[in-house]
This record gives sequence, C-alpha cells and structure tokens, in this order.
Amino acid sequence: MSATLRAEFLKLRTTRTAAGLAGLAVAVTALISTLEAATAGTGRGMAIPSLATPAGLRDALASTGFALIAAAVLGTVITAGEFRHKTATGTYLDQPDRNRVLAAKAIVAAAAGALAGLAAAATATGIGLGFAAARGYPLALPAATIARYGAGAVLGAGLLAAAGAGAGSLIRHQAGAIIAVFAWGFAVELVVGGTATAVAPYLPYTAAALMAGVTSGGGMPPIARGVIALPFPAAGAVLAGVAVLLAAVAAASTARRDIT
Amino acid sequence: MPGAAPGVLPEARLDGGSGTAVIEVRQLTKRFGAVTAVDRLSFQVKAGTVTGFLGPNGSGKTSTLRMLVGLVRPDSGQARIWGNRYADLGVWRRKVGVVLEASGFHPGRTVRDHLRVRCAASGIAVSRADAVLEVTGLDGLAGRRAGALSLGGRQRLGLAAALLGSPEVLILDEPGNGLDPAGVAWLRDLLRQLAGEGRTVLVSSHLLAEVAQTAGQVIVIDHGRLIWSGPVSQLTTATGQAVVVRAPRAAELRAALQDQRAAVRELADGRLEITGAAVEQVATLAAARGLPIFEITEETGSLEEAFLTLTGGERRPG
Repeated sequence: MSATLRAEFLKLRTTRTAAGLAGLAVAVTALISTLEAATAGTGRGMAIPSLATPAGLRDALASTGFALIAAAVLGTVITAGEFRHKTATGTYLDQPDRNRVLAAKAIVAAAAGALAGLAAAATATGIGLGFAAARGYPLALPAATIARYGAGAVLGAGLLAAAGAGAGSLIRHQAGAIIAVFAWGFAVELVVGGTATAVAPYLPYTAAALMAGVTSGGGMPPIARGVIALPFPAAGAVLAGVAVLLAAVAAASTARRDIT
Repeated sequence: MPGAAPGVLPEARLDGGSGTAVIEVRQLTKRFGAVTAVDRLSFQVKAGTVTGFLGPNGSGKTSTLRMLVGLVRPDSGQARIWGNRYADLGVWRRKVGVVLEASGFHPGRTVRDHLRVRCAASGIAVSRADAVLEVTGLDGLAGRRAGALSLGGRQRLGLAAALLGSPEVLILDEPGNGLDPAGVAWLRDLLRQLAGEGRTVLVSSHLLAEVAQTAGQVIVIDHGRLIWSGPVSQLTTATGQAVVVRAPRAAELRAALQDQRAAVRELADGRLEITGAAVEQVATLAAARGLPIFEITEETGSLEEAFLTLTGGERRPG
C-alpha cells in the first residue's frame, strides 16, 4: 500500500491540477467572504447582518461552500483523470490490485481536500475577523465556535473529496463526473433540501456545509430554511458513510471493468 | 502466489535458457459484445527470444496483450508469464516491462516526474529514472511536459517507463507507431540491444518489415485466431514465397531441390526461383551435394507478401 500511496501523492504534487483547484477554492472563498464582510450590516449585497452579530460574523467566516464543492471535484479528477489521460493503464500495470489503488486515491483525495478546506477556512476566517476588527466590533462568536467551523470545513472538504474519488472512479468520464458533482450540489440537494428538510442534513454537501457553519451559501445556493444541522460527529459519520459507500460501489464496478 | 512457490520465479528465469516458455497463452478468448476479438488463441514465447506478434489492425493483438497483463479479463483461457498471472507476479512484476499506450501520460507532468511516479508505484529506486532517460535519449527533455512531446518522444517515454525495472521480459504494443525513420532505426537498435542482453521481447506490429529485422520468431494472428507461428526464416517457406539462387551448376541444383519437393523455376537470367524451401534449406542442400552457390537471396518484399498471404491480403483502415 505504501508504494501506491507514495505514487498517488507524487502524482498530485507533480501536476498543477490540485494546486489550481485549491487556489480556485481559496480565491472564490476570499471573494465571497470579502463581499459578505464588506456589505454586512449595510442591507446591500447579500443582506448579511452586521459583523457585530453572531449571524453576520458566521456568514462572513463560514463562506466555504464553494471550497467544499471544489474539494469534491478534486476527488473526481484524481480518479476520473486517470481515464481521461489514459494513465490508468500504467497505474494498474504498477499495481494490479485495483481496490488498493482506489483506497490510495481516496486517502490522497481526502488529504488534498482537507488541505484545500483548511486554506479556504483560514482565508475566510482571516477576512471576516479582519473586517470585524477594522470596524472595532467585539468578537461576536466564541472562539470554540469559530474553530468548529474551521474544523468542519477541513473535515467536510476531506470527506467530500474522498466521496468525489469514488464518484470519479465510478463514472470515469472526467467532464461527466465534474458535471455530476456540480449538478448534485446545485440542483439535487437544493431541490431535496427545499422539499424535505428532515432528509437534507443527511445529504453529503448539506451535511458538510452545516459542519462548516455554511448557511448563506459561500458561493453555493443557501441551505434551505428549517434544515437543522446534525451534531458534528453525526454529520462526519454521514459523510464518511457516503465516501465508503461510493468507494465500495466503485470498487465492485472497477474490479470487473476492462481497461481498454 | 498461485502456481509458484516463493523463489521459483528467479530460478525459472535463470534455468530457463532458450526453450523455456516465458509467456504462455492458452485457448484465450475475448468477446466485446457481438465481436470476438480473440478466439481460442494459443502460443508460447520462449526465453531469450524476440518474437514479433503480427496481425492487421483490429486482429486482436492489443486485446491479447492487455489480457496478458491483466487489464482485460478474458472470457475463457489463460495468459501466463513465468507460469503466473501478471497480477500474481508480486515483486517480479518489475521484471516485466510493458508499453501499451503511446500517450499514457498526464500532459502537464514532466517527463522525469512521470518516470518518478512509475518508480514510486513499482518500488523502484528513483535513480533508475535518470538511467532510462539516457538510454532512450530523453535526457535532454527530462524537464519538458509530456504533453509537449512529439509522438516519437512519447513512444520513447513509454519505452523508458517499461525499462525502469531492468525487465527480463518486454511486452511492446506497436512501439514503432508514429516514429520517423530515425526513430524506427533507433527502436530497431534498442530491440537488438535488448535481445543481445538475453531479454525476452514480445513486440506487436501490423508491419512485418518493422519487426523482421529484429525478431527471430513471429506469431501471426488475424480475426483473433492464430494463423502461423515459427521462425521468421520459415515464414516465406510456409507461404510459398521464393528464394532466388545463382548457381553455376543450376540443373543439378534444380534436380536436387525437386527431389526435396521444392518447386523450381528458371528465370530469364538463368537464376533459379525456388518456392517450398527456406533459404537455409536451399543452402544446406547445395553444400551437402557439393554444388557451389554464387548468390542466394529471399525475394525482396517477400516477407510482407507472406504476411499478406497469411492474413488474406486484407488491408484495413488504421
């Protein structure tokens, strides 16, 4: 396993894809966070409450919604990219145990996604707290809550990336897999979340977003009103379950498919 | 490891001089939907030989090679290397170098990094990357992104990756595709060098001329079926291709050859055109009878003609 894992980490470091997607996630997070913080309490823009209030500060700090989806996309690219660039042949020649390859990719995706989540959360936190401090507001949220949002972004992005790796392995077509991820985040969860609020917290993006404190969207559609967040460990368990389930289905499918 | 106790593989190789089957394909069959790509195909590749795996485009060569290395699951039959499935070779997998894709690289990854990744995945020392870059003439392009390489450069990179583990067995699928004449000459020299080092090479091609200068053995398939296998030198004999001889005692030689059931025709310039006997057989017979020979040649292009004869002369789009 260690050789396969080492190779997968090396693959990630030797192209610009991961850094590019993480950079995009941070840039969009910075843009959204800045817009939200700059307009907070003014009634303009996204009508964010003042940064002096817990809700206003939360919206500015927890603007990592796009970063969470970007992490899932990164996961799909890690697996589906092998088929797009026809590198799967070499990968399976070096390690014919396809389950082992998939496990290594899921681990690498989780690590890369978590890093992207960390960078995005740090950016949003820095911007939100910076604006609040510049306006002379006292800290409207407990430090533990701010830390939990950050941890939620890291864990949520990591587990969504691992789930994305499973989805990419299952779908194989890279563009199709990316479209599927966005369609899921923008459409499926939006519709289901809006119509069945009791189910929404168990959907992967919503679970991750609520872990990270994201309610106003952060570059994604806002979470539907009335959706109640699961406790942090339960949300993490839901995400881990989705990642494991997708990986298991992908493993069962991948093992039988020909690499032509 | 099924079929092989630990330690058997190296001994099998060391003891296995020419004559031991390193690659064995038995009754291999693969269907893709309604199309039977490979149809009860059986052949062996002996240790230390360069074997050309020939057939027109779409004849089932690539499917066979992919089944040999476990990328495609056969519907029935077996494909073994050193008596084992590729997936069961363990660390000895490093000793099997494979080239199947002319462009199996991430276009944004540099040439050296591509090889570093392959080294890491196979547990091979990274220092081998620089060694094979030199062997394949890519050392000047190590920092270039793979996507910027010419087709010839990509073929070289594929070969470089295959050579990382100093392989005892090389399986190459159409490695000459897209190479310019200089690249073809380079590939020929490389295969000769590998053969000279005693490695076992199975190289597929749809062009007999491409492998005829390096391969001692050929396996010809068409429509997924074995058409012919044996030494290149016997290919012309098997298909009735001609050997041309200039001999001062032509009439005696002609009679001797006809005694051996070869067909002999006298050309306008007095030379004899012989079919049904290989060049070695003609020369040996002449020597045995004390008949001098001034010139003996296989007809130019006869190998290609033999190949076309075996495969029905059908030319298919690439």
